[in-house]
This record gives sequence, C-alpha cells and structure tokens, in this order.
Amino acid sequence: MALITARGLTKRYASVLALDRLDLDLEPGVIGLVGSNGAGKSTLIRILLGLVEPTSGSARMLDLDVVADGLAVRRLVGYLPEHDCLPLDINATEFVTHMARVNGLPPAAARERTAEILRLVGLFEERYREMRGYSTGMRQRVKLAQALVHDPSLVLLDEPTNGLDPAGRDQMLDLVARIGREFGISIMMSSHLLAEIERVCDHLVLIEDGRLVRAGSIGAFTGRIELLTVEVDGPVSGLAAYLEERGYSSRRGLHTLEVDMPDDGAYDVIRDGAASLGVGLVRLEQQRHRLEDLFREEADDGDPARV
Amino acid sequence: MSEPASASSIYDLGYRHYDGPRTGRWGTIATLYTGSVRSAFGLGRRTSSKIIPFTLAVLAFVPALIQVGIGAITSGLDADVEIFEHEDYFGYVQIVLVLFCAAVAPELAGRDQRNRMLSLYFSRALARSDYALARFAALTSVMLVLTLGPQAVLFVGNGMAADDLSGYIADRWDLVLPILGGSALVSAMIASVGLVIASYIPRRAYATAVIVGAFVVTLTIATILMETLDTEYAQYALLVSPAVWDGVVFFLFRVEAPSGNVIADASFSGWIYLAAGLITVAVALGLTIHRFERIQV
Repeated sequence: MALITARGLTKRYASVLALDRLDLDLEPGVIGLVGSNGAGKSTLIRILLGLVEPTSGSARMLDLDVVADGLAVRRLVGYLPEHDCLPLDINATEFVTHMARVNGLPPAAARERTAEILRLVGLFEERYREMRGYSTGMRQRVKLAQALVHDPSLVLLDEPTNGLDPAGRDQMLDLVARIGREFGISIMMSSHLLAEIERVCDHLVLIEDGRLVRAGSIGAFTGRIELLTVEVDGPVSGLAAYLEERGYSSRRGLHTLEVDMPDDGAYDVIRDGAASLGVGLVRLEQQRHRLEDLFREEADDGDPARV
Repeated sequence: MSEPASASSIYDLGYRHYDGPRTGRWGTIATLYTGSVRSAFGLGRRTSSKIIPFTLAVLAFVPALIQVGIGAITSGLDADVEIFEHEDYFGYVQIVLVLFCAAVAPELAGRDQRNRMLSLYFSRALARSDYALARFAALTSVMLVLTLGPQAVLFVGNGMAADDLSGYIADRWDLVLPILGGSALVSAMIASVGLVIASYIPRRAYATAVIVGAFVVTLTIATILMETLDTEYAQYALLVSPAVWDGVVFFLFRVEAPSGNVIADASFSGWIYLAAGLITVAVALGLTIHRFERIQV
C-alpha cells in the first residue's frame, strides 16, 4: 500500500508558487520532510489534510484521494499543526477527550485512551490543570496527544520541535521515534533541521521552492557514499594506484586515502594491497557521511560562485 | 513494604491500538453539539466563565417566577392576577435574550478562529457545513433554555395556582403549540443572527458589541421610521428587526398586537412575520455556513 502519492501537485497563492508540480511516491514508514522555511512543507501537509485545495494536480493518502475522499481519509490520520491550536481555558484531559470523540471514539473509549495517551506523552498531574499555565513543551505534548488519541494509521507532524528547548526537543524526538518504531504508526514529520530528521526518520523528502529536490531512504542518502579513511606509514600513491586497478576510487591526502566503499570487499583489497606494496597500515576509519555534508556538497556543486 | 517501583513502570502501559466501534458522522456532530452547550454555560471551565451565562439565564426566569409567586399568594382569593402573559413574555426578557446571545455566540463561532482550533476540526472527518450546523443547533438549544424554560414555568405555575393542574392543562391546551413554536422560532432567530455576526467577527469584544447593536439598533431605527415617515414603506423596516419576534408570537397565540407596540401600527398579516422570521434564519445560517466553508485555517 502506498502511504502518500502526489502527481503534479501545484499550489499557487496570489503571487507565490508554494508547490510546483510535485510528484511523490512514499511507502509506509517514518518520513522526514525537509526544506528551508517557505519551501512548501506546510502547504504540502495542509493539502494532504484537505485544509488547502491544490491549484492543480492530485494527491492520495492511504490509497484515498485527499480531495474526493477527504472525509474518509481524515478519519485515518492525526495532525499536529505548526501553530498554536489549543483552547487554553480548559484542561488537557477535557480537550483530548473532546478531540477523541470528534474523531469518532465512543465516550468510554475516549476517556480511557485520553488517559493512556496523556501518560504516554508524559503529562501526569498537570492533565487536570487549565492549559493556560502550560509550558511550550507541555503544549506540544498535548498537541501530539490529540493527534494520536484516535489511533490513526498516519500522523502528520508539522515542525513538532518548534520552540522547544534542547531537552524538550530530545523528548519530542524520542516520542516520535517510538510512535514510528514501536507503535507501527506511519509518520510524516516536517523540520528544517536535518539532524532531527536523521535521528528519527527512515525516509527523506527534500523540497525547495515548492519543488521536489530528492526523495529516498535515509540509507540511500548516506550509505551510498560510505567512506573509509586509510592512513599508511609511507607514500600513498602506490596504494591508490593498486586500488584504482581493482575498481575502487579514492582521494589522496598526505598520508591518508579516502576510499569510496561500495561494498565490504574493499577491506580485503586494502589489506592485500598494503601487504604486497610493503606499507604499514596505521589507521582504518569508517566514515558515514552525514546528511548535512551531502546537501552542502550539492549546494556547492550547483552554485559555482561559492566554490 | 517493598521499595516503590518507578512511576513509569507502573503506569506506562505502552501504546495500544483501538479496534472498537467508531461513531461516524453523527457521533462527531453530537460531540460538537454537546461541547458547544457545555462551553456556552462555561461548564468544564473556571467559575468566572459561568457567571455571565448563568446570571442571564436566571434573569430570564425572574418574571415567570414572580408570576408563579403571585399566583401562589392569590390562589385562595377569587382573583385572576396575570401580570405576565405568555404572548408578552419575550418582550419582557428581550434584552436578557439579546445579552445572552451576545455573550455566548462569540464563544461558539469565534473562539475556534481565535485560538486556531479550526485547523484541528477541519483536518478531521468533519464537514465544514456540519460544524456550522452543529454550532447553530447548540446555540438554538441554549437559547431555548431561556425562552421555552420560563414559558414552561409560567404554564405549570399558573396551572398549580389554579388549584387544578390537570383541569388547567386541559383548558389551556391551545397554548402548548404556540409556546413551543414561538420559543423555537424566537430562539432560532436570535441564534442564527448572533452566530453569523460572531463567525465574521472573530474578536470577541467587537462581536458582542455588534450583536447587541444589531438587535437594539434595528428595532430603534424601525420604530423611528414608523413614527416619523408618513409612508407605508417605513413598516418594511420592521421585518429586519426584532419586532418580527412579536409579530410571530402574537400570530401564533392568535392575539392582536397591543396598542403601543410598534407592530400595532403596521398592516402586515401574521404570515408575513412568520416568513420574515424563517427567511432571517435561512439567510443567516447560509452565510454562517459560507463563512466556515471559505475560511482559511
């Protein structure tokens, strides 16, 4: 089953093209939606939820058209908006129970699940206090609770760590990771911070200026160019040539080689090469590229003025 | 006893999926309806939110309670003292009804716009028109507490004062339908007008002021026009003012407007007032639905 698909999805506001012919094919999992502010992340989420109508193109979520089958698809999803959305004059239990019932849970089940979910997100005694007195972190957790209380198949989290301090950020990301891995609920989470996405997501969608830049599994982004730093106690040119002959490209430093690692066979080739050339291996260090390095490289490539 | 285990190991049952029944569209609407009624009276909120709605609700009952009290005192005497009649009742409490609507309608139609909770509602299996209809039904019901409630007290109170409740009810059975119909129409008219104003003016204080103004100013203008202009066209102003309430109620109770009431000088038949009332409700409700269909959340 496809989780989210989009075909030529376009949204034009008066003077701005918020989404520009976006095509997406996403499988169930934990999906990170990355882009700078104004890239179109929120617009995409709001179209999927039926809050905004696309100018052209179509989108499907859980195999249902988000416009034609809007009500049916919205039964199956939860949403944590980027902005404030809480009625501050009631308490968290009252609010989350209300949202559970709006989402179709009978009264007894709504109360029971509200208690469970509020515990899960870490709200205890505070749950009977007016939300006016809540910290930003507590409010974010209530917003997460209302998105989960009706047991959705997919939750859309729009900048869930917005405005949180580092500790709150950690807690929120841990919760999001648990929801995806332990509870088996698919997640689409937007963020402008790659490190957050890298920490909890298994898939990544990068959009800029309303256009899809890349989409794929985090492994495909980072694993593809795994590197091995090899340090030797002699000149590196011989080993580099030896590796080149056997199909492994590398870049030369003074006493080090950075070897591209398409497979684990490279270890054996390096060992054999060092033995036959009579150089001593000082250090072998695996380097997994971080997402941010990847995008920095791409930005540099695409913009010669910055090189 | 043994040392206390950590709270999380006791309480954290983990996440459980829900496979039970779901209530569907009507469950969602019913939730919105009951939630609206609760918030109208400030239930589930701090005490200060309850003061205004409950005070105004009590005020709406005061004339009925006075009448019942008089009836109780004079019941031994052979006197028929009816100060407050059914058909005049809405006229006595008109300002209370207007103030109540002005206090409550912004809660129901403006609050979700101010705190942006609309984006939660509209990202759920809730049609925007169903949202507007649930709010309208709730506000009409709440207004019914203040319209039908005192009428019922008056009816039962008069019956008890007559020493023969079942005989009184049998005698005055003709009053029941006008009481129900008049209360329902007056409630729906106030609710629909209050709701449409509050839905277009999210700011609470402004909405309250405009709602009070809409009812008071239209009646004042219509009255002045009737008195100063020597043309029969002036009376059409009555049809967009709360004078319609009186027109409908007198029509349903089959009584003539008392002299001194502004509609006594108009030449409309009761049907015109009934039609004006129904059109007011339909137009206001249509505009409210339109507002929520279009609003960016």
